Amino acid sequence: MSLKLTRRNALTGAAALGAASLLPNGFSRPAAAQDSTLGVFGPLPPDPAPPGAAKFAGAEFDAWKAANGADVKYDLVAWPQLHDRMATAFASGSAPWDVMYNCGWVPEFESFLLPFVDDLPKELVDDMPGSSFSTVTWNGKRYGAIFTLSLLTLFYNKEHLDEAGLGAPPKDWDEFLRYTKELTRDGRYGFVSNYGDPAGIGGTASYWMAFLQQAGGTMYAEDGSPAFNTEAGVAALQMMIDLQAAGTDPGSISYVGINDATNVLLSGRASMMMNWPFMWKPAQDPKGSQVVGKLAASVLPAGPAGTASIDGTDAWTIGKSTKDAEKARKLIEFYLDPAIQKKQALDTGWLPIRLSVLNDPDVQATMPLAKVVLDQAQHPYDSFVTPDYNEISQAVGTEIQKALQGQKTAAEAIAEAETLASAIIARRG
Amino acid sequence: MSSTSFERRRRRAGLLFVAPAAIVLLAILAYPIVESFILSTQSVRLVAGGVTKEWNSFANYIRLAGDETFRRAVVNTMIFSFGEVALVVSIGLAVALLLNHPLGRWGFFRIMLVVPWAIAPVANAVLWKWILNSNYGILNGLLKSLGLIEYYQVWLARPWSAFGFLLLIDVWKSVPFIALLLLAGLQRVPQSLYKAAYMDGAGRWQAFRHVTLPTMRSALAIAVVLQTIWSLRVFEIIFVLTRGGPADATVLMNFLAYRVTFNFLDIGYGAAIANIIFALTFLLAITYVWLMQPRKRRISS
Repeated sequence: MSLKLTRRNALTGAAALGAASLLPNGFSRPAAAQDSTLGVFGPLPPDPAPPGAAKFAGAEFDAWKAANGADVKYDLVAWPQLHDRMATAFASGSAPWDVMYNCGWVPEFESFLLPFVDDLPKELVDDMPGSSFSTVTWNGKRYGAIFTLSLLTLFYNKEHLDEAGLGAPPKDWDEFLRYTKELTRDGRYGFVSNYGDPAGIGGTASYWMAFLQQAGGTMYAEDGSPAFNTEAGVAALQMMIDLQAAGTDPGSISYVGINDATNVLLSGRASMMMNWPFMWKPAQDPKGSQVVGKLAASVLPAGPAGTASIDGTDAWTIGKSTKDAEKARKLIEFYLDPAIQKKQALDTGWLPIRLSVLNDPDVQATMPLAKVVLDQAQHPYDSFVTPDYNEISQAVGTEIQKALQGQKTAAEAIAEAETLASAIIARRG
Repeated sequence: MSSTSFERRRRRAGLLFVAPAAIVLLAILAYPIVESFILSTQSVRLVAGGVTKEWNSFANYIRLAGDETFRRAVVNTMIFSFGEVALVVSIGLAVALLLNHPLGRWGFFRIMLVVPWAIAPVANAVLWKWILNSNYGILNGLLKSLGLIEYYQVWLARPWSAFGFLLLIDVWKSVPFIALLLLAGLQRVPQSLYKAAYMDGAGRWQAFRHVTLPTMRSALAIAVVLQTIWSLRVFEIIFVLTRGGPADATVLMNFLAYRVTFNFLDIGYGAAIANIIFALTFLLAITYVWLMQPRKRRISS
C-alpha cells in the first residue's frame, strides 16, 4: 500500500495532528514523569548559579537527583534580566518554577511565594546567621534561605597603600577620606565605585544605605514611614560627596554595573572599592586581573555609629504554585548542604552562608575574605528591602546622583528623597 | 438583478479570503492596543498570588501631568527626536549625494555604509560603551594621542555630555538606512531636469536647490516621518550605557515606560506612558501612509 502525497492527504494529516494536540496530554510526557521534574529559575554564572549550572558539585547533584527520583530543569538568565522576567511571569500567571532565586524582591513578590523556612531542619537554620533572614522575611513570614554570605566589604590594593606609607586599611571615615586623597596620584584614583545605576541592590542608593547605617541612621520608622531625613542621612551623603572630592574616580557616576568599577580596581587604576565577596576569585586570576596577590579586604570604615554594610540577599525561594513543595524544599536543603556549600566557595568564589563552612580551615585558607565577611556580619547590614524597593531606591539614588554632581546639597537631596519616598509609600497604601 | 447578486457573492468571497488575515491582525495588533488602553485606566497590582485590577478612570493620565520625571522624559524625548531627525536626515542626504556621484558608486562604499545599521542594537550599545569608557575607551586614547585632550574624559558623567553621546550613537546607527532611502529618491530625479537647469545657466548649488530638493520632497518627508517614529523607540543604548542617568538626564519616554512597568511593577501607569508614545507614533504613521499615497490622490484629498 503506498501513500500518495496530495494536497488532500496533507490537509487531512494536518487536521488529524491538530486534533490530537488538543487532546489532554496529547503530546506531553506521562504525568508521573512530569511531576518529578522541578523547575528552577536563577542567574547564569558567573553570578551565583546552582550546582549543575555553575561548574561545581556536578556529581553530587546527579547523585541527589537519582536518590530523590527527581529531575531538575534549570531556567537561567543573565542577572539583570531576573527581576523583570519574574515580574512578567507572575503578572501573566505563567511562572512555572518550583524554586526561584530572589534578591531583595521577597517583599515585592511575597504573594507568589511559599513560607518554608520553618520546615527546614533546625541544625541547618541554626548554622546560618540569624540576620540573614531579615531580607527574606515579610509580614512575619520567612520566605527564603540565603545561600551565600554576600556583604559589601572594603577591597584595597596593598601595594598602593604600602607605596603611600599607609600600612593598615582605613578604620573610620576620617581615615577613609585621608587615604582616598593620598592614594589619588600617579594617574590613579584612591577610590572607585559604580554610581551609574541609582536603583536596586548594588545601585547608588544602596551604597548610601551602607553609609547611612554607619552614621547611625535608618531608612524607615516603626510604622514603615521614611525616617532618613536626619543628621545621619545627610552625613552619609556628605561623606559620599567628600569622598568624591577626595579622589573618587570621576567615571564612577557613569559606571552602571559593578563590573565596570571592578575592572578599574583590577587594572590597578584605583586603590580602594566597596565590593562583594564574589569579586575575590576573579581578582586572583591573572587572565583578567593585574592585581593578583596585591588585593586585601577589610570591614568597611566606621562612621559615627561604627561599621555597617548591606546584604546582597541572594536567596532561594519556593513558588506558591509548586506541585511538590517538599521536594522543592529538599532541593534547597541540598544546595545548603555543608559539602555543597564548601564546593560553592572553593570552586565558584561565592562564599557559603553556613557558619560552620565559613569557619572551615580550607575555606578560610583559600578565601581569606571569608573571615573579613564574617567580621562584617557582626555589624548591621540591612538592605531595607520593601515591596517598593526598586521605586524608592530609584528616587533616592537619583537625588544622590544630583548631590554627587553638585546640583543639590546633601541636605536638599535627602529632603527631596524623603518627600518622594513618602509619596511612593502613600500610593502603596 | 443577477449582476447585483454576483457582486454580493463576490464581495462575500472577498471577505472570506480577507478574514484570516484580518483575524490575525486583530489578535496581534488590535487586542494589545485595546488591552493596553484598558490597563492604563486601572490600578494594577501583584497581590494574593495574582494580578488585581481596579478601575481608576483617568487617574494615571492625570498623574502624568504632575510627574516631574515624566515631564523631563517628554522634554528629553522632544529634544532627542528633533536633534536626531535633523542630524540623520541632513547627514543621510549628504551621504546619498556622495554615493550618487560617479566616484561613489563603487559597491564597497554601500556595504561599508550598511555596517552600523546591520549591527544588532545591543551589540552596538556595548560597542559604544567600550569606546566611551573613561579608563580604556578608544575615544579618549585617540583624542589624547592627537593632543586634543590632556586628561581622559568621563563622557557619560555630565547630563548634557551623556545626552549628546546617546544622540550621536543613535545618529551613527540610523544614518545608513536613511542615506539609502534618500539615494533611491535621488536616483529617481530625471537627468533631463539637470540638463535643462544647466542649459538655463544654473550652477551646482542652484541645481541642488531648485531641482534635487523639490523633486526629493516626498522621499525627504518619508525619511523625516520614519526617523521620528524610530527616535521614539530608542531604548537599548539608554539601558546599556546610562540607565537613564546621570540623575535622569537621559530618560526618554520609552525607557521610562519600561522602568515604570517592569522595574516598579506600576503596570497601569506604565501603560498610560506607553499609550502616549503609541498615540504619537500612530499620528506619525498616518502621516507616513498619507505621504506614501500617489501624489494626485494626496492633492485631491
